[in-house]
Amino acid sequence: MRKKRNATKVLDTSITYVVLIAVSFIFLFPCLWLILASFSKSGTIYSFEGFFPKEYSLINFKRLFTDTTLYNYPKWFLNTLFVAAGSCILGTFLVILTAYTMSRFEFKARKPMMKTTMVLGMFPSFMGMIAVYLLMTQFNLINHLWGLILIYSAGAPMGYLTQKGFFDTIPKAIDEAARIDGATNFQVFTKINLPLSKPIIVYTALTSFTWPWSDFILPKLLLKEKDLYTVAVGLMNLDETEFARFAAGSVFIAVPIVILYFFLVKDMVNGMAQGAVKG
Amino acid sequence: MQKQKGKWGRNVKLSAVVMGAGQFCYGSRMKGLLYFLAELSILYYFITRGFSDIRGFFTLGTQKGDAWLGVGGDNSVIMLLMGIFAWIVLAVFLFLYVQNIRDVYRMQERVKAGKRLYTFKEEMAQLLDKKFYITVLALPVLGVCVFNILPIVFMILIAFTNYGGEIVPPELVDWVGFANFKKLLTLSQFAPTFFRILGWNLVWALLSTALNYFAGLGLALLLNKECVKGKAFWRAFPVLAYAIPGFITLLAFKFMFSYGGPINWLITQAGGSAVGFLDLDAKWSARLIGLLVNCWISTPSIMLLATGILSNRDASLYEAAEIDGAGKWVQFKKLTLPFVLFSTMPVLISQFIGNFNNFGIFYFLRGGLYLDGYFLASDTDLLINWLYNLSIDNNYYCIGAAISLVIFFITSILSLAVYIKSPSYREEDTFQ
Repeated sequence: MRKKRNATKVLDTSITYVVLIAVSFIFLFPCLWLILASFSKSGTIYSFEGFFPKEYSLINFKRLFTDTTLYNYPKWFLNTLFVAAGSCILGTFLVILTAYTMSRFEFKARKPMMKTTMVLGMFPSFMGMIAVYLLMTQFNLINHLWGLILIYSAGAPMGYLTQKGFFDTIPKAIDEAARIDGATNFQVFTKINLPLSKPIIVYTALTSFTWPWSDFILPKLLLKEKDLYTVAVGLMNLDETEFARFAAGSVFIAVPIVILYFFLVKDMVNGMAQGAVKG
Repeated sequence: MQKQKGKWGRNVKLSAVVMGAGQFCYGSRMKGLLYFLAELSILYYFITRGFSDIRGFFTLGTQKGDAWLGVGGDNSVIMLLMGIFAWIVLAVFLFLYVQNIRDVYRMQERVKAGKRLYTFKEEMAQLLDKKFYITVLALPVLGVCVFNILPIVFMILIAFTNYGGEIVPPELVDWVGFANFKKLLTLSQFAPTFFRILGWNLVWALLSTALNYFAGLGLALLLNKECVKGKAFWRAFPVLAYAIPGFITLLAFKFMFSYGGPINWLITQAGGSAVGFLDLDAKWSARLIGLLVNCWISTPSIMLLATGILSNRDASLYEAAEIDGAGKWVQFKKLTLPFVLFSTMPVLISQFIGNFNNFGIFYFLRGGLYLDGYFLASDTDLLINWLYNLSIDNNYYCIGAAISLVIFFITSILSLAVYIKSPSYREEDTFQ
C-alpha cells in the first residue's frame, strides 16, 4: 500500500516537473528568440534560416543609436521615457488619492460616483479618441508630449478600484485612534495610511508607468512628427528586412521594465491580490 | 430646499438674487466675494459665447463655409464640442448656485441658534479635515470630466448625427436621430459585416477568457504544489512574459508566423510549402494563433493574481476533506474552484470585457486587411477593430460612434448584472 502510494507520488512529481519545464519553455522561447535575434549580424529575418541567427555581433545595437537618419531610436526612447515618467508620477498621485478617498470617506456623491466610473469604464477605450483629438487641437496640444501625459494621467483615476480594494483592507480602527489623538484627515492620510500602502503604490506606479511605455494608439493619433514618436509607434513601422533592428530596439526597452518587474513582483502580487479580492 | 425648517431670511434672499451677497452681509467678506466673482465670470462667459454655443449645439451650424466667397462658415463639429462644454458650465453654475443658497441658509440657522459663524480661515482648514474629500477629489474629477466624460458624451451625440464620410467640416453636420443604428442593422453595406463580426467577437471573448483564466489558475495551482522546489525560479518565466510590453510580443509573434519567418522556414525545410498563417484566406489559423498568443500574454497576470488568492485559502478545510476521503479532483472542484471564482469574480468580468475589446491582438497580427464579404474589416477583426477601421482610418465617424454604443450596451448589461450581484459590491464593508 505504502509502496503504491510512493509510486504515484513520484509519478505525480515527475509529471508536474515535465509540465513545468514545458510551460517555462513556452514562455522563454519567444523571448530568447528575440534576444538572440537582436545580436545577429545580418538585419533581415530571411537570412536566419531557422529560429536563430548564424553569426552574432553587437552591430544592431550600434546601428540603433548611431544610424538615426531614418529611425531616430534614441529620440524615441527619450520621448517614451519622458511621457511614461510624467504620467507615472501624476497618475499614481491622482489614483492613490482618489482610491483613498473613495475607501475612507462617506459622502453623498460616493455611490453615484462609483457607479458612474463603472459605467464609463464600459465604453470602448478609444471611443472618445476622436473627440480627444479634436479637444487637443483646440488646446493646441497636438504634437506635444505634454498632451499625452495630460491624457494618461487624467484618465488614470478611472482605474481606482484595485487601489480602493487595498485601502479597504487597512483597518479603520487605526484612523479612528489617530483622530481621537487630534490628527486631521490630511494627517491621517499622510502619516498613517500612506506608509502602510507601499505595495499598492508600487503596483500603481508600475502599471501607470508601463501603460504609456507600451501604448501605441494615443501616440499614433496625437504625434504626427517622426521625431516625436514613442518607441512603440516607431517600432511598428519596421518591416521584416529590419527585423534585427526591431529585436534590438525591443530588447532595449523591455529590459528595464523586466528588471523592475522582477524586483517588485512581490509587492505587486500583494497589492494586486489584496486589492482585487475586494475590489 | 424642501427640508427647510425656517423661512428664508433677508440675507438668504439676497444670495438668491446675487450669489454671495448674503454671505457678504453676514460678514464673511472673502467667501461672499468668491461666490460673487464666480457668478460674474460665468455670466461673462455666457454673454460672450455661452449662449451662442448652446444655440449652436441645436443647429450645428447654419452658414456653410465657402473659400471662394471668403465666407468662414460654421464648423459643426467644433460647435457641438463647444455646445457640450457650455452645458457643462451651465451645470456647474447651477451647482454653485444651490451650494451658495445652502451655505447662506446654514449661516442663517447658526446665527439664529446663537452660534458663532466660521471664519474664512476655519472653513479653509476644514478642507484639509472634515471636507478633505472635496479637496482631494477636485482634481481627479476635473480631469475625468474633461478627458473621459466630455469625449464620451461627444461620441454618444455623434452617433445621432450624420458626421463622417463626405460630411465633414466645412460641410454642415445635422442631427439624424436613430438613422445610424437603423443603417447598421438593416443596410446591406453594414449589416452583414456587423452580425458576422459580432458573432465572432462573442465567441472570441468567451473562448479567450475561459482559456486564459483556466490556464492561469492551473499554472498557479501547479506552482503551489508541495512537490515543486524553487517556486521563485519557475515563476520567473511567466513573469518574464508578463513584463514584456504587449506590442513587442505581438509584433514578435507576427514576425515568427510571417512568410519569411522561422516557422515557415522549418516547414519548407521539411518539404512543405510556406503557409500564410495570417494571410487573407487564413481564417481559422489566424484566429487560433490569436487565441494562443493572447493566452501567452494574459495567463501570467491571472497566475499572479490566483497565486495571491490561493495563499489565503483555509487549510483546515482541505485537511477535513482529506480525512473524509475526498480526492484531489473533488477537492479542486468543491473547494478551490468556488473559492477562487468567488474571489476573482470582478477580475473575471474585467477580463471578459478586456478580451471583448481586445484591440491589440488582431491589429498587430493582421491589421489593415479588408476582406470581401466584409465592409472595411477582416474575418478576425473584433468590433473594436472595425470601429477603429471605420472611424480612424476611414472617417466613418457616425457609424463608428453607433458601434461604440452597441459595444457599450453589450458589455455594460453583462457586467452590471454580474457586478451588482457580486458579493464584493454588496458586502463592501465585511472586512473592515
